[in-house]
Amino acid sequence: MGVMQPSAFEQILITTKVEKVMNWSRATSVWPVTFGLACCAIEMMAAGASRFDFDRFGAGIFRATPRQADLMIIAGTVTYKMAPVIKTLYDQMPEPKWVIAMGSCATAGGPFDSYHTVQGVDKIIPVDVFIPGCPPRPESLIYGFMKLQDKIMTSSLADRYKDIFEEVG
Amino acid sequence: MTDPIIPQAPEVPEAPAGPYVYDYAASPQRQVVMPKTVPLPSYRTYQAEVKAAAEADEAKWKKMQADYETAKAKAEAEGKDAPKPPVRPVPRKDDNDVKIPWPQEAKDADLLLLQAALGDKVEEIFEQAGELTCQVAKDAILEALHLCRDHADLKYEMLADQSATHYPAAAGFAFSVVYHLTSISRRKRLRLRILVPEGFVPESACAVYPSANWMEREIFDMLGIGFANHPDMTRILCPDDWEGHALRKDYPVVGWGQRDVAFREDRGGMIERIALQKAGQLGINLKQPKAE
Amino acid sequence: MFKNEEMEINLGPQHPSTHGVLRVKLRLDGETITHCKPVIGYLHRGVEKICENQSFFQGQVWTDRMDYCSAVANNLGWAEANEKLFGITVPRRAQYIRTLLNEFNRLASHLIWLATHALDIGAMTVFLYAFREREDILDMNEAFCGSRLTTTAFRIGGLREDLPPGFEKMARKFLAKFPTCLEEYENLLSENRIWKKRTVGVALLSADDAIALGVTGPVLRAAGVPYDIRKAFPYAAYSEMDFEVPTQTAADTYARYLVRMAEMRQSARIIQQCLDGLPEGPVMAKIPKILKAEVNEVYHATEAPKGEIGYYLVGEKGSANPYRFHVRAPGFINLQSLPKMAEGGLIADIVAAIGTLDIVLGEIDR
Repeated sequence: MGVMQPSAFEQILITTKVEKVMNWSRATSVWPVTFGLACCAIEMMAAGASRFDFDRFGAGIFRATPRQADLMIIAGTVTYKMAPVIKTLYDQMPEPKWVIAMGSCATAGGPFDSYHTVQGVDKIIPVDVFIPGCPPRPESLIYGFMKLQDKIMTSSLADRYKDIFEEVG
Repeated sequence: MTDPIIPQAPEVPEAPAGPYVYDYAASPQRQVVMPKTVPLPSYRTYQAEVKAAAEADEAKWKKMQADYETAKAKAEAEGKDAPKPPVRPVPRKDDNDVKIPWPQEAKDADLLLLQAALGDKVEEIFEQAGELTCQVAKDAILEALHLCRDHADLKYEMLADQSATHYPAAAGFAFSVVYHLTSISRRKRLRLRILVPEGFVPESACAVYPSANWMEREIFDMLGIGFANHPDMTRILCPDDWEGHALRKDYPVVGWGQRDVAFREDRGGMIERIALQKAGQLGINLKQPKAE
Repeated sequence: MFKNEEMEINLGPQHPSTHGVLRVKLRLDGETITHCKPVIGYLHRGVEKICENQSFFQGQVWTDRMDYCSAVANNLGWAEANEKLFGITVPRRAQYIRTLLNEFNRLASHLIWLATHALDIGAMTVFLYAFREREDILDMNEAFCGSRLTTTAFRIGGLREDLPPGFEKMARKFLAKFPTCLEEYENLLSENRIWKKRTVGVALLSADDAIALGVTGPVLRAAGVPYDIRKAFPYAAYSEMDFEVPTQTAADTYARYLVRMAEMRQSARIIQQCLDGLPEGPVMAKIPKILKAEVNEVYHATEAPKGEIGYYLVGEKGSANPYRFHVRAPGFINLQSLPKMAEGGLIADIVAAIGTLDIVLGEIDR
C-alpha cells in the first residue's frame, strides 16, 4: 500500500505540524548537564530525587558531558575562576541549547557582592529562565523548568536565527 | 469608644526624573575604611588601659571636688546658698547577660612551661575566655612548635588552624599569625602567636605539622605573607594571575574590578550589541565586550 | 616498540560526582595514579572579607552557605563562638533545642554523604532512599526556621523562638521510622559484594598521617583515634547526653562508611534524649540590640558532620563588626589528605576517596 501524495496545501500544513512536533519532543526530553556549583545544587538534587521527581518531566537523565545535553542549569555562585570554565562548557553544548540560572547567585551574584564573584551568570552566557531564591525550593525549580518548556513549545525554528538574518540579509 | 483607625496611604516619593544610574561609589561596600586601633588582645595592654582609665576617673573626681570647693567659696563670698556637693558617678551597670571575658594572668602549667623552656623568646603569656595564648618572637616559632609537639608534658599533636590578621595601624608589626594547637590525648588547646612586620618571611610550620601546607598557602593568598621552606608557595583560592591580597584592610570588598568579566557573546554577538545600543539610549553604562 | 608515557588528565571542575567544583590534576600510568594535586578556589566567594564589613549578628547568614549540606552545624559553631567572645551564657532549654537541631542536621548531612557516595560508586537506589529521609528532616527545618537548606537557625544568646507546636510529634514520628530506614541502607550496602570490593582497602589513611595532616571527623575516627569534640570539649547540651563515639581501625573507605552509619544511630539516640529531657525555661539570653566588642579573640571549635569546624573571631574595641572572621573548615584540611589517599591507587578509587572524605566545596573555598 503506497502513501497518498499530499496536495500543495497539505504540504504547508504538515511542515507547521513538524515544527510543533519538534518543539514538543525537545521540550519533553530536555537533558540537563550536571552543573551544580553550590547550595542550589543540593536543591537541584532534591528536585531530582524521590519527593519532587524531576524525571517525570523527561529531564531525569543528567548527562555528565555537555556534548550530550541541551540544558545547563547554573545552580550556584559563579566566581571569577570558574567563569571561563562555564563559557567553555556552554560552547561545547550543541544547538539547540538553553540555560536556566537557578538561584540568586546565578541571577545577579546573590548575597555575595565580593571581589571574586561574578554578579550573575548572564554576564557570561545568555540565559533563558531566571529562578530567584536562596536556594529556590525544588517546586520553584520545577516551575521555572515548566516555563522553559513553555518557551520551547512556543519557539519557532526561525526565531533563533532571525536576528542574524536581519543583520546580514 | 475610640475613633476607628483610618489607614493612611504611605508617602511615596516622586520617582527621580531622567535615567537612573546606580551610584556605585556611594555604596558602603566600595569604601575602604582603614582601622585606627590595634585590636591585639594582650594582658599587658589591658592592664595599662585599666590603670589609665582608673587614673582618669580619679583625676575627674578630684576635679569635680575642686570645682565644688571653688564654687562653694564663691557662693559664700557672695552670700548665696552653697551649691550641691558632688556625687561620685557610679559606672552604669547594663542589665544584660553580656560578660566580656577580659585577659587574665597566666596560671596554666603549659604556659609556664613554655615560658621556662623558651626563656626570653616568649614575649607574653596570658589567658582569656578560657583559652591559653602565648606570644613568641617571630624567629623562634619553629622552635616553639617543635617543643609543643615533642615535649612529654605538652604533646600538642595536631595543628587545628593557622590564620593571620592585618593590623595596619600598628607600629613595629603589620600582621599577627596565630597557630591553634590541639592536644588530643590531653584534651587541651593552645594558641601561639607571632607578630610579623611587612616583608618578613616566617618559617613554615610544615616541617612540624604537615597540615600547615594549605593553611599557609591561604595566608599567602589572602594576606601576602610568604613562608620559608614551604613545598608549594602559590595562591590557592584566587587564580594565579590575581592581583592584590584580599584580606588586607586596604583592599575593598568588591575588589579592584577584576571580577567584571564581560566575555558574553551569543550566536553572532547580535543580541549583545542590540542590548548595548538600547542601554545607551536609556543612559545606563555597560562595559563594552572585548574584541577577542 | 611500545612507548610508555604518563598521561596527565584533569578531573575537572565539572564532573558528575556532585561534590561541587573541585578540580584534581592527575598523572596516570595506565590506570594507576602516580601524582594527584587538588586545585580549589572555584567557589571562593570572599565570605571572610564580607563578614568584616557586617555586624556580628549578620555573620550567621554566611555560615549557612559554607557547609550547605548541614547549615545548622555551622550556625551552632558561629553562635557559640560569638557567645564565647562576649561572655554570654545561653539558657538551658535553648542548649537542648540547639543540640536537637544539630543532630537532625548531622543526620541530614550523613544522608547526603551516603546518597552521593553510593551514587558515585554506582549504587543509585540509595540516592533516592536517602533523599526520601532527608526530605522529612528538611520539613522539620522548615517548621522551625522557615527555610529548608540555609537555615540561619540560631541567634547570639539562644534562639529566636521556641519550638513550634507539632514539632515534637513530627520528630518522634521520624525517629520511630528511622532505624528501619538505616537497616534498609545497610541491607543494600553493608554485605554487598560489589560495595565491599570497591571500598575495602581503598583510600587508606593511617592514624599518624591523619593527625599530622590535621584531619578530623569520621576520617580520623575510622583510623582508630576516638577524638570527637562533643566528648573532648563538650559544648551545647552534649555534656548531659549519653552517647558513644564509634571508631574503627581499618582506616579505609569501608571503615568510614561503618563509622558514619553508626554515627547516624548515635544521633538518633541523642535526639531521643533531647526530646525526652527538654527542660522548661526561656530560650534567649538578654543581650543589647547592638553588640559592641572589646579587644578579644576566640577560637571555638565544634563537631560538624564533616569534622572540626572552628571559628576564629577577633573583636575591635567599640566596633559592631568583627575585625577578623576566620573559619577553619573541615573540608579544607581534610582535602589535603587526598594525595596521600589516592596516589598509588587506581583511578576508579579516587572517586571513592573524594566521596569518603565527604567534602563540601562551599566551606573549602569559603
